Amino acid sequence: MTNRITETLTAWIFLAPALLVLTTFGLFPIGYAVFVSMHQWRIRKGIFIGLEHYQRALGDPQALVWLAFGCLFLWLTVRYRARIRQVLSGSPIGLVVYLLLLTGSLWIVFAKGLTVMVETGDHRLYNGLRVTAFYAIGTIPVQLTVAMLLAYLLFMSLWGKGAFRLLLFLPYVTPVIASAVVFRAIFSPHPASMANRIRALLGLAPSRWLYESTSVVGLLLESLGWSQYPSWIDAAFPSLALVSIIMYNIWVYIGYATVILLAGLSAIPKQYYEAAEIDGANSWQVFRNVTLPLVSPTLFFLSMVAVIGTFKAFNHIYIMRTPGARESVDVISIAIFDLIFEYHNAGYASAIAFILFAVITFLTLMQNRLLGRRVFYG
Amino acid sequence: MTTMKIVPCVSLMLILVQLGCGGPGERDSWLTDDPVELETIDPQGQEVTFWYQHSRERETELLALIGEFNRTNPHGIRVRGEYAGGYNDIYNKMVVAIQSGTVPDLLVAYQNQARAYYQAEGIVDLSPYMESERWGLTQEELDDFYPAFLQQDRYGDAQICFPPNRSLEVLYYNKDWLAEMGFEGPPSTWQEFATMCRAARDNPFSKSPRPSRSLGFMLDIDASRIASMVFGRAGDLYCPEEQRYTLDTEEMRTTLRLMLELMREGAVEIVGDDHGDQAEFSVGQVLFTLRSSSGLPFYRSAVEQDGVGFRWNVTNPPYSGDQPVVNVYGASLAVGRTNPSRQLAAWIFLKWFTQPEQQARWVTASNYFPVRKSTAVKLDELFERSPQYRSAYQLLQYGKSEPAAAGYQQVRRLIQNSVVAILDGENMDRVLRQLEERANRTLLDELY
Amino acid sequence: MAKGVRQHRIRTFVVYGGLISWVLVSCFPFVWMILASLMTRGETLRRVLLPANIQWGNYVRAWQDAGFGLYFQNSMIIALLQVTGTLVFSLLAAYSLARIEFRGRGVIFACILATLMIPDSVTMVPNFLTISWLHRNTPMTWLNNWPALTIPFMGNAFSIFLLRQFLRGLPGELWEAARIDGATHFRFLFQIVLPLCRAPLLTVGMFTFIGAWNALAWPLLVTNRPDWRPISVGLQKFVTEAGAEIHLQMAGAVIATAPVLLAYFLIQREFTEGISMSGLKG
Repeated sequence: MTNRITETLTAWIFLAPALLVLTTFGLFPIGYAVFVSMHQWRIRKGIFIGLEHYQRALGDPQALVWLAFGCLFLWLTVRYRARIRQVLSGSPIGLVVYLLLLTGSLWIVFAKGLTVMVETGDHRLYNGLRVTAFYAIGTIPVQLTVAMLLAYLLFMSLWGKGAFRLLLFLPYVTPVIASAVVFRAIFSPHPASMANRIRALLGLAPSRWLYESTSVVGLLLESLGWSQYPSWIDAAFPSLALVSIIMYNIWVYIGYATVILLAGLSAIPKQYYEAAEIDGANSWQVFRNVTLPLVSPTLFFLSMVAVIGTFKAFNHIYIMRTPGARESVDVISIAIFDLIFEYHNAGYASAIAFILFAVITFLTLMQNRLLGRRVFYG
Repeated sequence: MTTMKIVPCVSLMLILVQLGCGGPGERDSWLTDDPVELETIDPQGQEVTFWYQHSRERETELLALIGEFNRTNPHGIRVRGEYAGGYNDIYNKMVVAIQSGTVPDLLVAYQNQARAYYQAEGIVDLSPYMESERWGLTQEELDDFYPAFLQQDRYGDAQICFPPNRSLEVLYYNKDWLAEMGFEGPPSTWQEFATMCRAARDNPFSKSPRPSRSLGFMLDIDASRIASMVFGRAGDLYCPEEQRYTLDTEEMRTTLRLMLELMREGAVEIVGDDHGDQAEFSVGQVLFTLRSSSGLPFYRSAVEQDGVGFRWNVTNPPYSGDQPVVNVYGASLAVGRTNPSRQLAAWIFLKWFTQPEQQARWVTASNYFPVRKSTAVKLDELFERSPQYRSAYQLLQYGKSEPAAAGYQQVRRLIQNSVVAILDGENMDRVLRQLEERANRTLLDELY
Repeated sequence: MAKGVRQHRIRTFVVYGGLISWVLVSCFPFVWMILASLMTRGETLRRVLLPANIQWGNYVRAWQDAGFGLYFQNSMIIALLQVTGTLVFSLLAAYSLARIEFRGRGVIFACILATLMIPDSVTMVPNFLTISWLHRNTPMTWLNNWPALTIPFMGNAFSIFLLRQFLRGLPGELWEAARIDGATHFRFLFQIVLPLCRAPLLTVGMFTFIGAWNALAWPLLVTNRPDWRPISVGLQKFVTEAGAEIHLQMAGAVIATAPVLLAYFLIQREFTEGISMSGLKG
């Protein structure tokens, strides 16, 4: 018993310094921001307004209830899918009922929930979420795929491993202020900018890069001669400006992901490969059935770090943002910054920050539940 | 990682904790405005802290001026100048300073920022100081100020900040190139402007290092540039009588239509790098740029030392009314709400700083424009050295300022986005209608 | 046999071709930055690719104009203090979270991670208010001094997280053996774990160093005079409101980046090793 007490005491003593600092400068400001978000608050505290900022940002509260209800319904359906089909066992009715429930809940989520919220809520919040989603979706899979490829190449290389690792990592340790300014010049719309010189080498006309608010798909369709494409295409795909920023992000983080993945690859015991070879598996099968499952914890870790990172990304986007890009690169953290510094509205900005907080937390939890289960821990 | 579940619970807990304990003090004691008789206050020996954003040459001269004030003022006031970062950094510092009760005595502020500080009771109304018999300005001195400059810094009945200098939005033009193409001088109407832009596209400047790239004008996407062009058509962005934004106007339409047309013809491009128009102007790849006069020294060194070298000058943007209209702007100085003696000391410095002798030194070093008319007689040396400055100086009389309405900062952003949308080919009627509607909504509901 | 050799050659070609092309991509912006920093202003205005004559003088001018001398020294002191503090605090906390069983461990870890999810622009104001309260109510001078610049960053969630990942990977037998010898957690940590932690500690140290070196908004907020301001403040002075001087800006950027890269070259082996270990266990 005393042992237990000493253990706990030691633990708290060890934690104390870091926890003291973290509570004061990490948790307290979060709590304080909650307090700010419930007031009219420009520079000084105004009147208490409760959840009004949240309602203003999110839109129709009724739709929010529908959204929550739809999500719950969806979760129940997926969770108990086996049960549902079992109850009406044998007949195809089970499947039909299941599909009906599924479409029904999705309909509630989108038609009754999200659509109404987007219509009645704050455009900056939803545009911010949309852009942030593009940013994350555009970054993470490409980054992980290329990093996996590079890690594999590094793994196969016989000499110069250290030197390659060193050079691949350079972008990650370079101060963002310096590298983002360089990229701003590289992706400038000027015909003599680096990006446009490369296009010229390929025989293409100069592009507007960071100043281009049209979506990449839209630009592609235009270059194929279809300039009157439907307008939803620009809303459904990231702009070229955002894609340029995504390229910067990939450039920065690829070394980091590669080195971690290389370690993951190196940790796989040789016997697995030998066994696969004896079974006569080709290289794709080896990759699919041996390598991938065994590095999945590493990939999972990287994707978690990347989700939090992309949702909070600010500095380089702020530096690379141009008026030409309009709202197409305004991720949530940029919108929050604008609300504080241009609109002088700290109360509302704090409310938006908490919505972001909720979204990140939700995504991390989902990621844990959905992907975490597929991770193979040997 | 299953522990992540706890995060929502913890945040909820924090909410409750915060609700329970409440925030910082409601209204700090130092804010109370005792009706003090200004004439009896003694500013003797006060320390004044002054936050500014100037760096390099401008900072050097400013510090020299401050040093002189400290040596010569009869009250033993000591001013301490402190570089406080860019405009945003100063805003940031001021926001926390107001909340923690540690505001500086004097700081650089844009009009919209000053309004926010004033509403939060972080700065003082300067009109009592200006009107004070002992410390204020005489009628003669007051008349010496350009009235529009003082007017820009008013908010309701209060003078919330005070102009130390101003800048004008001017058209920079390449004189040699114009002469090569057979034009006698800069454009005075928009029609001429368009003709010259087209001519420049077809006839590259003889000294241009890259004749394949030849432009008439480069448009920087900024609300001030748009305001200049609308002013040049005798329009306005705001109607003070009706207290509403007027953005969906014929002047705005013709402005944008002309830009759109010239862009499609390849005579105009949007600026795509920081000061990219200045760079291309200096190597003779663009004939005109529209920019703040505070860039004069940079243009001079770019063209004459580092660029291809040619004769150049500045003038008012083309106009279609009876006389030119030039957009005038600039950050001002605000006095922090500290205590009566320090506030007075800050005002004494401010008054000294805007006197013609000091103004002359300051504008000579900074290439800003003075705020008092009588400064001109002391500027011979500067006029001699920079004929362009003299040209711009003559435009001061045509100055007109951008809206001083609440929330103009948001509206600037809205204008920029709409202009890009229109230049991208979106329907002008719809975009402008929406723009005006949204802009006017910021008036009703400044909080969002 | 011949077939094997050819296959081997193709493989070598693919491997090195792929690696070298990405290395070119990742180094290219550095080359651009260095080239631009060695041009005359005229060359940057004309947008040429290579400087005709190398202008080392740009570095001298950038150094003087930005007043880098003092800022450099400040940044060094701030970064070193911050690294030391972060390492000590994070190692202790990570050890406790990774190796000691106690109630509430999960909640605490979740709270620590929660601090990662709010943008800095929101937390800056309350943190300043806290600092200025401490400045007024404790005997220590916080504002315009090193405590405000370093202490708030000493409890860093990401550092704790990385070190915890590493410590969790240590074999349990180590502790069992030490316990039989009658070691306390404290002795175990300093005699056995610490020597094993060289690589992860250097990694965390490097991250902290980069963070401290790049900070701009916060240092400007808590200082009013140059005596304690870091190098990024000097770099900012090249961003003027009226003119572009890319050559000086880039020279300044190279100067400001150099120490970070130098530190990285010195410890790169441990750094990559430390980074590698963080992602292995979920």
